[in-house]
Amino acid sequence: MSAIAPERQATGADALGAPAPSRPARAAGWASYAGYGVVVLVLALFAVVSPVFTDPSNLASIINQAAVTAIAGMGLAVVIIVGGDDVVEGGIDLSVGATAAVAGSVTAVLTTAGLAPVLAILAALGTTLALGAVNGAAVGLGLRPLLATLATMGIATSLDLVISQNMKIALDGQPFTWLRDAGGLGVSGAVVVLVVVAGVLIWAFHRTRLGVNAYAVGQNPTAARVAGLNPGRYRFASYLVSSGLAGVAGILLASRLSAAVPGIGTQILLDIILVAYMSTVFSRRLVITIGGTLLAALFVTALSNGMTLSGIASQWVGAVKGALILAVLTVVVLRSKAGSR
Amino acid sequence: MSNSPVQAPVNPGAPAAPEPGRDRTSRRSSDGRAGVPRSGTVRSLDARQLVAPLALAAILFVFTLLSDQFLRADNLAAVLNQSALLALAAVAMTLVVRAGGIDLSLGVAIDLSALAAAALIADGYYAWVAIAAGLGFGALVGLVNALLIVGLRIPPFLATLSVWFVGTSVQQLLTGGGAPIYLSGPRVPEEFAFLGGSGLVAGIPVAIAAALAVALLGWALLEATRFGRALTAAGEQPRAAAIAGRRVPALTVSAYVTASLLAAIAGVLLAARTNGFVPASGQLYVLDAIGAVFIGATLSRIGRPSVPGTLVGVLIFALLANGMNLIGLSFFWQGLGRGVALLLILLAGVVLARDGGGPLRRLLASARR
Repeated sequence: MSAIAPERQATGADALGAPAPSRPARAAGWASYAGYGVVVLVLALFAVVSPVFTDPSNLASIINQAAVTAIAGMGLAVVIIVGGDDVVEGGIDLSVGATAAVAGSVTAVLTTAGLAPVLAILAALGTTLALGAVNGAAVGLGLRPLLATLATMGIATSLDLVISQNMKIALDGQPFTWLRDAGGLGVSGAVVVLVVVAGVLIWAFHRTRLGVNAYAVGQNPTAARVAGLNPGRYRFASYLVSSGLAGVAGILLASRLSAAVPGIGTQILLDIILVAYMSTVFSRRLVITIGGTLLAALFVTALSNGMTLSGIASQWVGAVKGALILAVLTVVVLRSKAGSR
Repeated sequence: MSNSPVQAPVNPGAPAAPEPGRDRTSRRSSDGRAGVPRSGTVRSLDARQLVAPLALAAILFVFTLLSDQFLRADNLAAVLNQSALLALAAVAMTLVVRAGGIDLSLGVAIDLSALAAAALIADGYYAWVAIAAGLGFGALVGLVNALLIVGLRIPPFLATLSVWFVGTSVQQLLTGGGAPIYLSGPRVPEEFAFLGGSGLVAGIPVAIAAALAVALLGWALLEATRFGRALTAAGEQPRAAAIAGRRVPALTVSAYVTASLLAAIAGVLLAARTNGFVPASGQLYVLDAIGAVFIGATLSRIGRPSVPGTLVGVLIFALLANGMNLIGLSFFWQGLGRGVALLLILLAGVVLARDGGGPLRRLLASARR
């Protein structure tokens, strides 16, 4: 499939669930909605099996839980968009999970030490941005993102241990309870953060020149350079965005759990990668999109939630997620074959 | 394998993003930053080829200074013994990376084979049954990978990542939610205990002997046989290899299955060594194996992973871990040490390759533009 033209209007609209405007269809008509079809089907199934599933409070808690994966996933999506979506040579950030864990630990430790929560949060975000800068600099020097972020993943995991001394550190107090609990409007602070982050990123990547440029840099760096862009700068920025958002996600996660839990980074990493790559199913041109990542995060969370409510053992959730990635990828590969004919 | 879904070869004319598996390390410089190719002696030693040996020497030097225990024969023997399983996993990873892929599910192969072996021993089966079942489970993981990557054409990173997910889940299902299996000493057959460390082959512990044998075989296979050359070609230039009549899919399948089988050997040895099975213990080896392979790749002028290079990488990790333990560095800080070492070695390799420039590499970089 020709992934040269950056996806612009269409994705934003697709991802938000609006009907796509009439435009020359690339993939077969039915296939481009297969992703949505699967989502609707699975959700409908859960709604039938478990009456609690569609309960407004349950739906609210799904969105609340999805915030962490969604925000970190969108950060990873930015890296993949800008770095190219080739998985071995292209953009990838394996350190997002560990970075999120570091952010949680830093926030919890500093708050416990008596620092003002705002300062603790700023320090946590500063730490994650520093990790992102290391990633960006290493990639800028020519190291493959897979390896650079593998190394920083080790570094961040160790930092998390050093900071938390491998102990659970309680995190309570005002801004964190606001992030965790539903407020007056029935939404928690985490959802507000999610909406703001998603709104800004979707606008920036699917409505602006910056977004078009970012896709161009990822899909054809040489052409982008010829056209006057500086791919190196975009790549560096993408790792900062990814780490920063991972930091935000980590703080949300620690707030939700009321504690920074050591070693949680590896647990959430796979989910984050899953939702970022899954976003391609929601895109007509089979590219990673921000809106698609948001949808995928909501779907994956709903899936775990629905399986739990239906009484399926938690051990199966991992298997289903793995099968899900495979199904998604198979669809993508089959569609891209059909599209290139 | 080269066809990641989003950049299928529709526009060969356009300077598309590089494919996976082509000259791995020179990608960044190849998109335009490399200078004009100089003429030079092709034989001259590339500066970056010295990075890994120098790092190894530096680690030896520093820890010899810091700890008087470090440079002693029994300590170094212990290092070798501890690094044997990582060496097996890393040689397996070398094969796969050489074939243009990557295998994140090696840990699952290690775990499943350890699980099968430990469970069967616990149930009182003969040692050979348990070992065969362990190897079989491991090979099964490789077959699944091969099916996904060659059959369904899913990019290796994502395919093996999903197998990692599924495999972890399978382990939990088989162990009733992740309960470890412990083998009580008297019930372990002698042959199995032999693998676990009591046995010596020609005066060497079994694990080291196995790692050495596998490394030698792997080295010979990759560098001295027709199969090795075909595999390398299939990894680095899949389309050219296909045009030249190589059966790229079959080669790729063989790489993944062989790799999983090697990982399974590590798994059986792990079960024998730890006298049981702890879920997800094999996954610790995956990331180190990847690191070792790519540290080893800096030993090659064109960034090609090789078995000797990988072993250098394994030694770097093993000596670093041992040294940090000896000087009493907390476990919490050790990850930081390893991560920083990995990052610095790889960065030095990349930067020296770009600036110092092996002539051959520059030639390659400019030819592709």
